[in-house]
Amino acid sequence: MSYLTPTTLDAALGALSGRDTEAPVSVIAGGTDWFPAQGERAYNGTLLDVTRVEGMRGVSAVGTGWRIGGATTWSDILHADLPPAFDGLKLAAREVGSVQIQNAGTVAGNICNASPAADGVPPLLSLDAEVELTSTRGVRRLVLAEFITGVRKTARAADEIVTALYIPALSAGARGGFTKIGGRKYLVISVAMVGAVLTLSGGRIATARITVGSASPVALRMGDLENALVGADLAEALERVTPERLAALSPISDIRGSAEFRGEAVVEAIRRTLTQIMKGQAHG
Amino acid sequence: MSYTISLTVNGDRRDVTFEDARVTLLDLLRERLALPGTKKGCDRGQCGACTVLVDGRRINSCLTLAVTLDGADVTTIEGLARGDVLHPVQASFVEHDGFQCGYCTPGQIMSAVGLIAEGDVGTDPERIREGMSGNLCRCAAYHGITEAVLDAARRMTDDKTRKSA
Repeated sequence: MSYLTPTTLDAALGALSGRDTEAPVSVIAGGTDWFPAQGERAYNGTLLDVTRVEGMRGVSAVGTGWRIGGATTWSDILHADLPPAFDGLKLAAREVGSVQIQNAGTVAGNICNASPAADGVPPLLSLDAEVELTSTRGVRRLVLAEFITGVRKTARAADEIVTALYIPALSAGARGGFTKIGGRKYLVISVAMVGAVLTLSGGRIATARITVGSASPVALRMGDLENALVGADLAEALERVTPERLAALSPISDIRGSAEFRGEAVVEAIRRTLTQIMKGQAHG
Repeated sequence: MSYTISLTVNGDRRDVTFEDARVTLLDLLRERLALPGTKKGCDRGQCGACTVLVDGRRINSCLTLAVTLDGADVTTIEGLARGDVLHPVQASFVEHDGFQCGYCTPGQIMSAVGLIAEGDVGTDPERIREGMSGNLCRCAAYHGITEAVLDAARRMTDDKTRKSA
């Protein structure tokens, strides 16, 4: 195995340029998903560590939105000064493994790993996150829903690095929430989870962005439900969370729960998230 | 290809050369630097027995390649006591029976030192349980562990207040 730790983006991109699948290069930041995935095999490829690349780490306001650098850890998110729309992302940050994992693991790594149970994905989809991919060929930006294409599959080409995520401008007063249901309280892979961003007007929902994770190959926005929630107060909103409006989901049965239980857990997780946001109880 | 890094471990500067970049920080500590206090439990980031501080933050040393740590400052369980005087967290674990077999204890203690330094949880027992959730104890000494961390957090906060007064 060879190990590269470039300090400039040009050097990092140069290391990936022209590589093909015969000489694999794994791009890592915290490595918290990558290392255990190797199992007992000895890795013989090249490891490209992007954590020392200048400008890759940290959260900043850019124009009317926000930029999350590609090497930004979950602990960085939790401690960043961000508006209440990010409360769901902050709550998710607290639930990505343990603090030991949050101190190493990154937001970009979470989306590149593309697990259906990735804690970061539902809140990021509810924030309309975009993914910046950079290579020596140039820079392109994809919305997150187009970046994650399947179970552990993404649109990243072998010579590209996820250099940042962007969160577009948020309406004033937007508030986020997040609920994860698992077999125990902490250090758990989710049975179902929900990330949401709402704007409220006079105690009623003006706009809703609701994303469900762990109940389909890739986390999904619940468009029918989002439309149905407009105009609802809390009591009405809870009633409008019905299985018919969640028909796009395809929960599976596995070691963590049956499909039937997952379906029920999703309804409950959405109701808890709406309550958390509308009662102002969501905090990172 | 060989790799040479320079890092600080418990205050001492160490220059290390590897022939293989796959050496984890955990194996470096235990097998190359004669510091076996850091324990190998699951070796895949689930149990927390290998917790150490890197630049003041807790991480799982089994999930960290040593080669990534050029210039880093590492603190292990061996670096906490001052001579015969235990660190307040170590003393508190003894006082509150924060262990049974003791295998997870170095990781528990390093995690607790990191948790108190983060300053987010104060003395709320539920936040302490959340903050310590990355450290499993198969003997289930959790009650004593939580009491030990709570007491140490209180004592260390009091000390800080006294010193600044």
